Amino acid sequence: MSSADNSFLKELEKKQLLKIANQKGIKMPEKWSRQLMIELLSLNITGNEILENKQKTLTSKNKFKGSTIIEIKDLVKKFENITAVDKLNLKIMEGELFSLLGANGAGKTTTINILTGLLNPTNGTAAIAGYDVTKNISEIKKIIGVCPQEAAVFPYLNARENIELIGNLHSLSKKDIESRTNRFLELLGLTESSKRKAGGYSGGMLRKLNLIMALINAPKIAFLDEPTVGMDARARRKTWEFIGSLKMENKTVILTTHYIEEAEALSDRVGIIDYGQLIEVGTPEELKNKYGVKNLEQVFLNITGRRITEGL
Amino acid sequence: MRLQSLSALVTIEIKKLVRHPVNLFLNLLFPALLTIVFIFTFSDPELGMSINTVVPGLVVYAVIFLIMTVAQSFSSERKLLRRLNTTPMTSTEFIGSQIISNMVIAIVQVVVVIVLAYLLGFRPQSGLQGIILAIPVTAIFALSSVGLGLITATVSKRPETGTGLSFLFILPQMFFGTFMPVSSSMQNIALLVPSHYLFNGLKLIFQGNWMSLDFLFDFAIISLVSVMIVIVGVVLFEKYGNI
Repeated sequence: MSSADNSFLKELEKKQLLKIANQKGIKMPEKWSRQLMIELLSLNITGNEILENKQKTLTSKNKFKGSTIIEIKDLVKKFENITAVDKLNLKIMEGELFSLLGANGAGKTTTINILTGLLNPTNGTAAIAGYDVTKNISEIKKIIGVCPQEAAVFPYLNARENIELIGNLHSLSKKDIESRTNRFLELLGLTESSKRKAGGYSGGMLRKLNLIMALINAPKIAFLDEPTVGMDARARRKTWEFIGSLKMENKTVILTTHYIEEAEALSDRVGIIDYGQLIEVGTPEELKNKYGVKNLEQVFLNITGRRITEGL
Repeated sequence: MRLQSLSALVTIEIKKLVRHPVNLFLNLLFPALLTIVFIFTFSDPELGMSINTVVPGLVVYAVIFLIMTVAQSFSSERKLLRRLNTTPMTSTEFIGSQIISNMVIAIVQVVVVIVLAYLLGFRPQSGLQGIILAIPVTAIFALSSVGLGLITATVSKRPETGTGLSFLFILPQMFFGTFMPVSSSMQNIALLVPSHYLFNGLKLIFQGNWMSLDFLFDFAIISLVSVMIVIVGVVLFEKYGNI
């Protein structure tokens, strides 16, 4: 579809977009945002593909077999007397959206920090795309994008300048930076405020900018550490759609969250982490079936004996 | 080192100077205010000081306050530095950008101080040549401020602590390394303070004595000590800066 068609789509209401989708025989759930619909129609990606992709993942354990992109073996991280990560073993496959689910302090962020080279493990190994995190971190940094838990943006720069900086650090061309920036700002609804200094942004806007900065380099693997904390329900939903659409580009996403519904809505597989230990891994459906419950909240409660939000 | 990365980092540092009120005040307005106040207060032959003695000291003051802005910046931007650390940016690019941007700021400071001083009657014997030479010499000294700022940021966990601790490096340099009169017993301490050599060097430059052995000695000390301090600062910050 040409860029001219793109601009035509932007003029349309949600109902009209749904009509076009129907005419093309594309299933597109009504609850999806207008932006996402425009994006998918522009890219000629059908809603069916997203749904089918999710369905395939749910029904086939072996979808990602043979393409391990992250391999963690007996990973341990100790801070003096505290063991933050305790003999963690995990394999994540290429193109998978994997959620690490756990309460605050469970070891999710520490694990991400080790995988992204911000912390050295006390013991064990971790490899990303075949590169050891302690020996080849410079190679790893070229293919990852990291969305830190706390929004890390320069307050005296506007959104575009913040994104541009990260793009330049990844040696992207001006053209790529500009086109991706425009696309992401629009998808997350930040276009209008993109020339205001980030220091004046609301919490939700900062989180969105934080996320865009993590994805501007079109990373092969995206680490999203609690990307929707502090967002209102609407912004969170929009961000979920955005994260979900990354799968269409075959990106591997590692998401940490303590929002059960987030993990359930987005993930191909979920890992439940508690006191630094990975105590359960599986697709949301598998876990619910295994414990004979209706949702992941109850899975978490069954496994850990408490609700995920306790202690927050 | 990739130029695209380096220039992007330098650009944000310069934007920070212009857009951050505290940085703008400390780096540009404060030296300008000091220049006006000190020239009116101290350049009095009865006090044994002329405007030609005061101006080199004011340049030194401006540059040593970079210690505070560097310390504040590194203490307050740890989470940003952690984010940058997950990109392909190398430590050479990052430190290089800090050095370049602070040298640029030091150059702007020299220009601000000298232009204001000129308007208030400063006429160096060296003429324009001396003023031009003072710029790179001061920019090299700015390296020591970056290094001392990094050392301060390594120790301090919060920006406020960084501000306070930076005075441990700023005050001795202000009192022992410039035009403040010190007792003869204290003059030996002045020899240990880097700013003493910049102050002396600038005096010699403005007198037109930049070919003298005394100036070459001061310049050698400034260069050597500044490079050593910045290396120590970088090593300490990388190792213990909690990034």
